[in-house]
Amino acid sequence: MRQPRSGPGKRRGRGPRIPATTLRKQQAVLANVDQITGAKIPKSFVFSRGKLPSTLRHLQQDLRKVMLPYTALNLKEKKRNNLKDFVNVAGPLGVTHFLILSNPKSLPHLRFSKSPQGPTFTFQIEEYALAADIANSQKRPRCPPGIFKNSPLVVLSGFSGLGNPFESLVEYFQHMVPAVDPSTVKLAACQRILLLKYDKEKEVIDFRHYSIKLQPVGVSRRIRKLMQNNQVPDLRDLKDVSDYVTKAGYGSESEADDEAATVSLPSDIDKLNQASRKSAVRLQEIGPRMTMRLVKVESGLCSGDVLYPWPVAKKSVGKKGKGTEEEIEGQEETEDEL
Amino acid sequence: MAAAPQAVSAPPSAATPNPSKRKTRPKGKGSKNKAKKKKLARSEQDDSVRRQRNKPSAKFLKLLRKRARDYNSDDDEEEEEQEHPPSPRRRRRDDDGEDDDDEALSHSDQEEDEEEEGVSTSAVTRFEQGCRAFRVAFLKIMNKKLPDDPLGPILSAHKKLVAAKLAEEAEERKPKGEARKEKRVAAEKGHVIPKDHLDSKEKELIKVATKGVVRLFNAVSKAQKPRKDLNPSRTKDAKVLAKERKNTFLAELEMPSHQDKKSQAPSNFSKMPCRTNHMPSLFLSKCHNCRTCIHPLERTGKDEHEPAWAPLRDTYMLGSKLKDWDKMKDSAAEMQAEVPLGDSSDEE
Repeated sequence: MRQPRSGPGKRRGRGPRIPATTLRKQQAVLANVDQITGAKIPKSFVFSRGKLPSTLRHLQQDLRKVMLPYTALNLKEKKRNNLKDFVNVAGPLGVTHFLILSNPKSLPHLRFSKSPQGPTFTFQIEEYALAADIANSQKRPRCPPGIFKNSPLVVLSGFSGLGNPFESLVEYFQHMVPAVDPSTVKLAACQRILLLKYDKEKEVIDFRHYSIKLQPVGVSRRIRKLMQNNQVPDLRDLKDVSDYVTKAGYGSESEADDEAATVSLPSDIDKLNQASRKSAVRLQEIGPRMTMRLVKVESGLCSGDVLYPWPVAKKSVGKKGKGTEEEIEGQEETEDEL
Repeated sequence: MAAAPQAVSAPPSAATPNPSKRKTRPKGKGSKNKAKKKKLARSEQDDSVRRQRNKPSAKFLKLLRKRARDYNSDDDEEEEEQEHPPSPRRRRRDDDGEDDDDEALSHSDQEEDEEEEGVSTSAVTRFEQGCRAFRVAFLKIMNKKLPDDPLGPILSAHKKLVAAKLAEEAEERKPKGEARKEKRVAAEKGHVIPKDHLDSKEKELIKVATKGVVRLFNAVSKAQKPRKDLNPSRTKDAKVLAKERKNTFLAELEMPSHQDKKSQAPSNFSKMPCRTNHMPSLFLSKCHNCRTCIHPLERTGKDEHEPAWAPLRDTYMLGSKLKDWDKMKDSAAEMQAEVPLGDSSDEE
């Protein structure tokens, strides 16, 4: 009689056995609490209210990819789901942020809000481009699937010196992604960047999503390609290998920018980028591109007091009263004159 | 005795002189009889129409078979059955039911009739004339010039009705098409497809983002860089390194969280969300690298004397209500039990 397998081998009909390291990583992603900081890992839901045309649905999927891995990529919503349903589900799952797409009066709007009673920032999307459009416009689109395993870094710019509500907006964006600890973070895990830049003249926020690529500086193009491709180059016309190695190739125009973007790495990232060597940071755009304008800020979850734009109701009532008084006075005066 | 075998052999020999015919004739006769019987039986069961149809066809079949057997184009054979020509002709007339052909056919029929009456023609030549008649009729149709009508050659009398219907449909389709076009345009509102990937504005944005990344990476490399003079592979140096790391680590754990009030520096380029406040880091007392960070507003309210690492704080994983748990009721204890359960749930 064979003894039944016990311990980690017993999977109880759950499929092939997963190695322990992968299991730990999976559980880390699903965890609610960050191991180091003790703070909650912010998770998000990206969904839509109302009927969306197909391009906006693509935008919704692109936004979900931006917020990976701490978001539900295949979230299915039904017509009859209310906001309340989402709030109820978000509690036990540890979801803290909602990104809500809607299309009222055929103008796309995006709402960032915090569950369950956080503030809501409503933006009108003035222009947008899908990830597929951007990939089509590039000569060599680069989007390796591994970059979505870690959350993006958020870079905010142009928000200095603005009062409320932009300060709370800045805070919101910073909290939307899990914290980055410079002493423990692995540079190989920082592969995406989310840029939010405020344009003061137009009063719009530019939303851009980039992928990070590190390129070793000071290595000629040929040798770099050789290391990347791992293929034996064509040496037919050359007499000596040194001809291949030392041939002066023309530098690309972006290499001048690399000097400003050079970092020296603390550890090996891959074959090309090694410790204590200089590497240049090159960004390539992936993901959707949006231009948003802040339209409304509410203190509750799509409800509550409107904090921005400033409420004007009281002022207008006062004005009316004054106006009528003036009119009456004017009439009295004229009557008196007459 | 000998006569019997002879007698037996005689009938087979008598039967053999025409071996080819022997096979066909009895077959023909037998099958004909069978066919006749079958057809008669069927016609008895069916309507009169069928009987009318079958009657000529059986004879016609017989005629065809005879023709196939005795085909010789040079011969001018006497037509045996004179009453049959009108019936096949009648059938042919029924088959070609087009109005335009009537005249042609009638002509051809008349021709045939005249020829019939005049000269005793063979069945084959009549077949030919039938073909010729068909040819004439067909050519007449093909050479007919049709009016350039969008409705096509309509042969029914309801030309006007059909035209009216089509006009109606076209009218319906126009506003629908326009509405659909408008819908599509409205759906794409705001959707801008980038023509040129890198124009100046985009390049500037990339530069801004790159600066932010560079800052972060420099901070990371400072934090994680191993000391150059000590080689990590040598065990002595490794011990020294480990000791150093441990000391700084413990120091950071015990130290309170940093409050950098210089955070609101009005620099125009990127501000990193530096989280050195609440975690053990190898930075010294002030975050040198993150001077321009905006620290989240909520941190200002923290108690200055609490250690930086979360689990070391007294209020770790407790709400403020539960500080005096031993003085509270049982419901509070239940809540406390729930909180760790909630945190360790592993469903997505």
